[in-house]
Amino acid sequence: MIDIKKTYKNYVDGKYVRSESGKTYTKELKNEFYELPLTSKKDIRDAVTSSKNGYKKWSSTTPYLRMQILYRLSEMIEGNKESYVELLMDHGFTKQKANKDIDESIKNIVWFAGLADKWEQLAGNLNPVSEEYFNISHQNPIGVVFSLSGSNVSLNELLMSILPSLTVGCSVISYSEENSVMALKFAEDINNSDFPSGSLNILSGKFENILDDVSKHVEINLVALHKELDNEGLKTIEQNASESVKRVFSQPSTEGFSSILPYLETKTVWHPKGT
Amino acid sequence: MGNIKTSDLSIQWSNVLEMVYESRIDSVGLNERVNSLATRSIKKDSKLEALNMIVSMCDLTTLEGEDTEGKISQMVAKAIKPNPLDSSVPSVAAVCVYPSLVGTAKEKVQNSDVKVAAVSSYFPSGQVPMESKLLDTKYAIESGADEIDIVINRKAFLEGDYRRVYDEIVALKEVCQDVHLKTILEVGDLKTYENIRKASLISLAAGSDFIKTSTGKLSIGSSRQACYVMLKSVLDFESMTGVKAGIKVAGGIRDAKDAIRYLVMINEEMGSDWLNPELFRFGASSLLDDVLKQIKKLKTGAYQAGYYFPRG
Repeated sequence: MIDIKKTYKNYVDGKYVRSESGKTYTKELKNEFYELPLTSKKDIRDAVTSSKNGYKKWSSTTPYLRMQILYRLSEMIEGNKESYVELLMDHGFTKQKANKDIDESIKNIVWFAGLADKWEQLAGNLNPVSEEYFNISHQNPIGVVFSLSGSNVSLNELLMSILPSLTVGCSVISYSEENSVMALKFAEDINNSDFPSGSLNILSGKFENILDDVSKHVEINLVALHKELDNEGLKTIEQNASESVKRVFSQPSTEGFSSILPYLETKTVWHPKGT
Repeated sequence: MGNIKTSDLSIQWSNVLEMVYESRIDSVGLNERVNSLATRSIKKDSKLEALNMIVSMCDLTTLEGEDTEGKISQMVAKAIKPNPLDSSVPSVAAVCVYPSLVGTAKEKVQNSDVKVAAVSSYFPSGQVPMESKLLDTKYAIESGADEIDIVINRKAFLEGDYRRVYDEIVALKEVCQDVHLKTILEVGDLKTYENIRKASLISLAAGSDFIKTSTGKLSIGSSRQACYVMLKSVLDFESMTGVKAGIKVAGGIRDAKDAIRYLVMINEEMGSDWLNPELFRFGASSLLDDVLKQIKKLKTGAYQAGYYFPRG
């Protein structure tokens, strides 16, 4: 039996692609070396172009359909559970811990799937006014989100860096360094769940290579950092981001309903009451 | 340069016919040459210069049934000041509109250097009697057009009636007089490189000031290969008559990178004389937006979003 090793590739615009630079970095798993795409600045630009189109498609999908697609993702992961567990064990997890991570992941996807057509009732509001009109706060997804995943190997942590923004209709560029094998494997299930191309792009590499371009790129609307960065890095990002009024969240909450709030923009409308 | 009079050209129909029948093109060699020219790398300073040059060579175009006076005013404002926040970005060369909107465009460009070009001779198909084409062109000129873009009679061309194609252009050139005449070959309809060369030579001999690749109404627009065939025809025509004609590429050129490749090709094959809005133009609607984005990217280091630039 020949042992066939998998080539992990970035997932951009619904396609599996190598970095256009041809560069890779190496990750060791169970005494085997895997080469992962070392994302270049050009790859990021391509991903943003894709995410911008993906945002149009994903945000205009009905909440009901978004819910079904997210639920389908949980079905896909359930079906491939063993291979996820195995991958976590290759990373040094015990079987029990690996199982727990995947079970938590599935549970969280189902929870967010359920939220997909409900968050607007919860986050929106009919504001109290003393005149004869309605004043309504209505929430829109913020747009293209760049999410840097954490440094732990975990499917659940990866998901918690993606699901809150994806659920409300943002398109997401998920970027992983330490957790990249898991992220690129996860892309296969995204591909099988009927997400429109560009709604979720998954890339791997070293964040310092693209930090400047990401924080300056005008078409990225929000940067979520789920990893602790040094003060200098954070300061550079915030300064660059301010040029295009990009929002930056360092380690935003991933707990329940509050996790989606950073990815919403409030639009207030008023409407006269019929007399 | 400009304002060629057919009668002044020391070229007879028999010379044209001879050249037309001698047209043979090695397409493998041509593709190779064109592709090798596309691999040149452009350094940052030259890039900025190239991008500004592209802006100054743009014919900002809108040719839709939905065009209104309001839309034309907006486009002309953008043509005069493509980036209102950066005065170092030059005006475009011209705005290109349908004859019925020439008057509006002319009124709006007023004191600027921006010219008004009109498509005529029943653009884009040209499938009407000659009288109508003449009338269409006269109307555009009387409305104040500085430049006229006509289409060749592809029906006659594909039927092999080259004389008719030639005669029509000559007749339209007579109507144009001093008004700059650009002749659209519609390379997508011509199918072969030989046909593009034949049509180029016929149009040039008939007195066109410019030859232009496409109407922009077909899915096959301009290609660098087609442009290469045309530029070789223009050079051959120059060596025969001493007349420098211009080239306009249009249709499907959407990004700055592609446009720069055209400039490289023009510079390498024709020389820097042709790197001039008098002799080389881009027909553009979305190209200009990308060029403006790239200019700002070079200056600020940040990739830009379209919504920070004027619409038009």
